[in-house]
Amino acid sequence: MTDFLNILLIAIFLPLFPMSMLFNAVVENIKPKGLRVILFILWPLIGLLIALNSEFVIPDWLLPLALSTSLLYAIRMLSLREVNQWTGFLATSIWSLLWLPIMQGSSAALLYEFAIGMSVPLVLLVLLAAGLEQRFGAAYTGLYGGLARTIPRYAGVFVTVVVAAIATPLFPTFFFMLDMVVEMISSTPAAALVLLLIWLFWSWAGARLIQGLIVGRASNNKIADMDMSSISFYSIVLIVLMLGGIYLAGAIL
Amino acid sequence: MERLIIAVAVLPLISALFIQLFAGRFGRAIARLSVAMTTLSFLLSCLLLALAVSGSETLAIPLGSSAAELLFDPLSTLLATIILGISLIVHLYSVRYMAEEAGYGQFFVLLDMMTAALLFMVIAGDLITLVISWYLVGVILYFLLGQDTRSQTAYRFAFWTLITYRLGDLPLILAAALLFNAYDTWSLTVIFNEVMANPDAHQVLGLPLTDVVAGLIGLAAFARSAQFLLHTWLPYTMDGPTPVSALMHAGIVNAGGFLINRFAPLFVHSSEVLHVIFIVGLITAIFGSLLMLTQNDIKKALGYSTMGQMGFMIMECGIGAFSLAIYHMFAHGVFKGTMFLSAGSVINQARENDGIPKDELYTFAVEKRPNKARYPWLLMAVVTLVVPLVILIFAHLLVSEDYFQKQGAIVLLFFGWVTGAQLIFATYKMRSQNVWRLMGLSILSLLIVVLGYVFISHGFDQFLYPDAAFRAQLYSAANINSLSFDVLVVIVTLVIVAGWGITYFSEQNDHRRAQKSKRLWLNFYALISREFYINDIYTRLSRSLLTVSSRLNVWLRWL
Repeated sequence: MTDFLNILLIAIFLPLFPMSMLFNAVVENIKPKGLRVILFILWPLIGLLIALNSEFVIPDWLLPLALSTSLLYAIRMLSLREVNQWTGFLATSIWSLLWLPIMQGSSAALLYEFAIGMSVPLVLLVLLAAGLEQRFGAAYTGLYGGLARTIPRYAGVFVTVVVAAIATPLFPTFFFMLDMVVEMISSTPAAALVLLLIWLFWSWAGARLIQGLIVGRASNNKIADMDMSSISFYSIVLIVLMLGGIYLAGAIL
Repeated sequence: MERLIIAVAVLPLISALFIQLFAGRFGRAIARLSVAMTTLSFLLSCLLLALAVSGSETLAIPLGSSAAELLFDPLSTLLATIILGISLIVHLYSVRYMAEEAGYGQFFVLLDMMTAALLFMVIAGDLITLVISWYLVGVILYFLLGQDTRSQTAYRFAFWTLITYRLGDLPLILAAALLFNAYDTWSLTVIFNEVMANPDAHQVLGLPLTDVVAGLIGLAAFARSAQFLLHTWLPYTMDGPTPVSALMHAGIVNAGGFLINRFAPLFVHSSEVLHVIFIVGLITAIFGSLLMLTQNDIKKALGYSTMGQMGFMIMECGIGAFSLAIYHMFAHGVFKGTMFLSAGSVINQARENDGIPKDELYTFAVEKRPNKARYPWLLMAVVTLVVPLVILIFAHLLVSEDYFQKQGAIVLLFFGWVTGAQLIFATYKMRSQNVWRLMGLSILSLLIVVLGYVFISHGFDQFLYPDAAFRAQLYSAANINSLSFDVLVVIVTLVIVAGWGITYFSEQNDHRRAQKSKRLWLNFYALISREFYINDIYTRLSRSLLTVSSRLNVWLRWL
């Protein structure tokens, strides 16, 4: 019973369906971007902290549940148009997979590094969504479009961040997914196939998000593009992320 | 050597970085930097190729203390040179062609990144570098095809490409994971050595590992090289800039042939997979050519032409003619690249003057009016069937006496014979006033093409697979039971001869018999004009998935 309660508690922070709905409800109801940033950084870390500091037996049904949660949210992302919601669903899909290395007994340091490496692009997305809300009143795909022509610098950064978030080389999430496939293929081949399917849906959803925002004709209204200091900030974070990805690759592969 | 091969791959990356950083300061002149870097990289790759041709040993070059390795071998040096050659031409062309387009600097950044990704793909000495570069090629191509960010259509089809490429990434990742689990290394050289030493050492789900991995590699190659059922993106990606089309049709789409060649040490132990590859390639070649012939949009026709060629390339792998696939890749790349890059000026010239001489070819091909003169059909049939065969046998005997012992070689000869006969048959059908002159010219061209093809492909064979025993092993892995092979050859011959016979008798009877089957033909034409409804099925499936996604969101209250 204690084990079950433990798992239930952790399942809020390393989201497992239906507890995952709680996180997405919180995302939807917290509007200040600062709080959202904190939420996206701390949420999986709290989950890991509890998971790594409590003793419980991981039941067999947890692996299919974690994979199903991730797959469910990956599929649901396909039809989302609101950027914050999209980011929340991607976070749910990614963080639920953190159960896999926990089950395999990966080191705590590596788990934290993965969690941070995978959450940073999501945090950047939250900040970018706030930028869209500030400029257009809403961060919504298909509503205005044409960002590549209207605010090209912002569009460039946005595309790179989405690409980083959906597990593209050389960002940390890519190496995490690769490592998980390598680990799963020998013990549970079906799990490896599901992981690949989830990965495919992330790419699909990412492409739809990009297309819904950046493609189209330039707006007639004058809209301020991203300033150079912000570009420098995003570039530095993305470069550090990429280096972090390469570092993680060295550690796991 | 180590520094040389690293420099070849890294120079385009440095160029991309510089352009990204300084495009604003130097404006459009920054493209010259990209061209200069690509030229330098190309020259270095030529040097590497020269070293490989002169017999330098294959080398696996580790990158620092990581598991990553770069491979110096005939395949990597040859393909690096081809990639850089095509990329250089595309760069030079783009300097002026893209000058009026928005995102000029960004285009060269992407072009350089694509060149680097392709280079890392062909010189990768480990599975991780291979998977990363393979993956990145798809992502960069997506953005290159969507260079015109105003065009929803360009992005729609770029998306198709991305998803197909991502589908193709998955089997490669699985194959890499399986190989790593079995051999505990990412190094391709080590894995291949172990596979060659003991091919049956490992099993997956009760099947030999070599078969499973070869099957997965085959699937990855099918997606990348637009094989049947994974081809729908290719004919529709013409909304991208012309230089990107040239690069894609001349280089990127050929990657499937490269991948199969890279994993040749596995395929040599996977006869069944080679047979599947042959069948898929054959189906693709037939469907691609069929769809090409029925298009009224020239760009789509070119797309399907590439599909047919890719089918033929994959089919060559399926019969064990691995090096021939590389030669095919090279020849098709140069041919198709030239077509795309010269398309603009041809259109311009045609607007001023179509330049088509009103000769026999014109009246036959354009006005559909064959001349009245007729020649004895029996004599013509003998010439049609015998001459190409004599040329092919003669040319192949010049390079190798035991050539006809290989089934794969027979299949290739068969295709050559059919193509040659078709060429002479078409010449006869033109009913020229001077048919002997026209046929003489056709036969001479056929002789030159066949001799060139045979000698160059023989050279590729010697260079890429210097070990004669391995070459023979590749061909024998693709063999099927002799009786089945003979029966198949007879059946296919009968089908082709029957086809020619039907065409001949149909013409003799002024198409009267053909009228009876008109409805059947119309239905068939409708099927082809809808491209066998494959695109419609995929669109329906993806819409269904999006509907499921929406419904799930509604049921779960978007949480």
